[in-house]
Amino acid sequence: MGDVIELEKLTKTYGTRRGLVELDLAVAEGEVFGYLGPNGAGKSTTIRLLLDLIRPTSGRARLFGRDPREHAVELHRRIGYLAGDFVVDPRQRVGECLTFLADLRGGVPRTRIEELAARLDLDLTTRIRALSKGNRQKVGLVQAFMHQPDLLILDEPTSGLDPLVQQTFLDLVREATAAGQTVFMSSHIMTEVEAVADRVGIIREGRLVALDTVARLRDRARHRFEITFTGPVDRAALAALPGVSDLVVEGGTARFFLSTDPNELIAVLARHRVASLQASEPDLGELFFAYYRDTEAAKEASRA
Amino acid sequence: MPDVLTKTLRDSRRSLAGFAVGTALVGAMYAGFYPQVADGAMGQAVEGFSPALREALNMEDIGSAAGYLGSSVFGIIVPLITVIYGIATGTRAIAGDEENGYLDLLLAHPVSRTRLLLHRCAALAVGAFALAGLVLLAMLAVRPGARLDTISIGQFAAQSVALALLGTLFGTIAITVGAATGSRAAALVGSAAVGVLSYAANTFATQIGADPLRYLSPFHYYIGNEPLRNGFQWVDLGILAAAVGVLVLAATVAFNRRDLTS
Repeated sequence: MGDVIELEKLTKTYGTRRGLVELDLAVAEGEVFGYLGPNGAGKSTTIRLLLDLIRPTSGRARLFGRDPREHAVELHRRIGYLAGDFVVDPRQRVGECLTFLADLRGGVPRTRIEELAARLDLDLTTRIRALSKGNRQKVGLVQAFMHQPDLLILDEPTSGLDPLVQQTFLDLVREATAAGQTVFMSSHIMTEVEAVADRVGIIREGRLVALDTVARLRDRARHRFEITFTGPVDRAALAALPGVSDLVVEGGTARFFLSTDPNELIAVLARHRVASLQASEPDLGELFFAYYRDTEAAKEASRA
Repeated sequence: MPDVLTKTLRDSRRSLAGFAVGTALVGAMYAGFYPQVADGAMGQAVEGFSPALREALNMEDIGSAAGYLGSSVFGIIVPLITVIYGIATGTRAIAGDEENGYLDLLLAHPVSRTRLLLHRCAALAVGAFALAGLVLLAMLAVRPGARLDTISIGQFAAQSVALALLGTLFGTIAITVGAATGSRAAALVGSAAVGVLSYAANTFATQIGADPLRYLSPFHYYIGNEPLRNGFQWVDLGILAAAVGVLVLAATVAFNRRDLTS
């Protein structure tokens, strides 16, 4: 299977500010790719470059092997896009809006729109203006999925959705991949991506700082521990653990991060009496932090 | 098949209807005053103005139906509202919808920038012609009662077509500035500034001894050769239409070259 998205040294500069710096990335056909990063990292810039809404300063992007600018119209036929900020004329009704967008694509069966709307619990007769942020996002989801495009490009697709609808969204993504569709979705929340994504790329300040499967990224991330001992804390033993960092001891409680598997830690704990133990999954912030620190450290090293 | 053109017209139908009905009513009302003017009161007042002022206000011949309508209804009020309609529509067509994020969605569909721009221009022109058509109907409706029958239906039609092209031209200026910059403020201020300056150029060029300036003004080609008296001025209409064409071309080139603002 070929690559649906190929980016080669893709660079976008806004005046003196850098949006993207020499981004290399490939997304294979049928893959679900999670594109993670904090706000302003360059996620939307990448997506807008793919859709020819903006043009690269240098480097190139290819969709289905074609130039997004030269072949914009035919490429857009094969793409479903949900913008981070989905905007339509608020005065029209939901059904009218969706029919218009479907007709721009040469039409979508009415039953398909109705089926999607029903699954997302979206009323087609309401005016857009009367919809909450979450319900407006549902309109965006329906228009992105309704024509069963070869490639779905979704910018923060679950923002504003309640947890139940988020599940429906994940079902839609799973069905899309089952049908052979490719999904490129951005997010700043790890959990909504990890449930469906095959691979994840983390972008920070316009650079890709990590690119791997979700499982392997997690393994490399730092887990946060908070352990309360019934006796005094054996600080030396904890500090000697491989991969431990930011160790703080307060009274009988030790807090630290661990970036390896916890086997050594368990061996240490077995020699003490533990009153309580909390280990939190690394959230995306921690992941960012870990990767950001690594890249900063690498920069320092290369300067030295 | 519903398309960008029909959708644009449908989405703006209330605003268009408001402008068209409002312009037609105001125009009909002022046209309806003609009998009082013809009966002397206004004519005598204007007699007191200096010849230069009368010329500037296009009131040398306020007593005749064509003179009265050419100076008041089609001289100021109706073209003013029509130009405002054009600028409002043209500003929204590209820059307005771009700033609020709607163009991102449309252009992510299989719609080229050129097609979007042409459809938006066509919607503007359809709107301007509908507005002018309603004004024409209103004029024809009050024509017998307001003693305006010295102006033929063809002469009214000629002035209305010029009106439609005037509105389209100013709308296209707003579209072009918006297509080049993506800024709603630039489109609005730019086209409004051209409107004020060109109106002034047409009105006062002769007084300040800069007669050639008026030939730069769209208002000259709209009313300078008095369609209400002389019927269709094909050269003037052609110049207005050509200006629209050149601007649309420039807008298309500029719009295809740049990044959309986010």
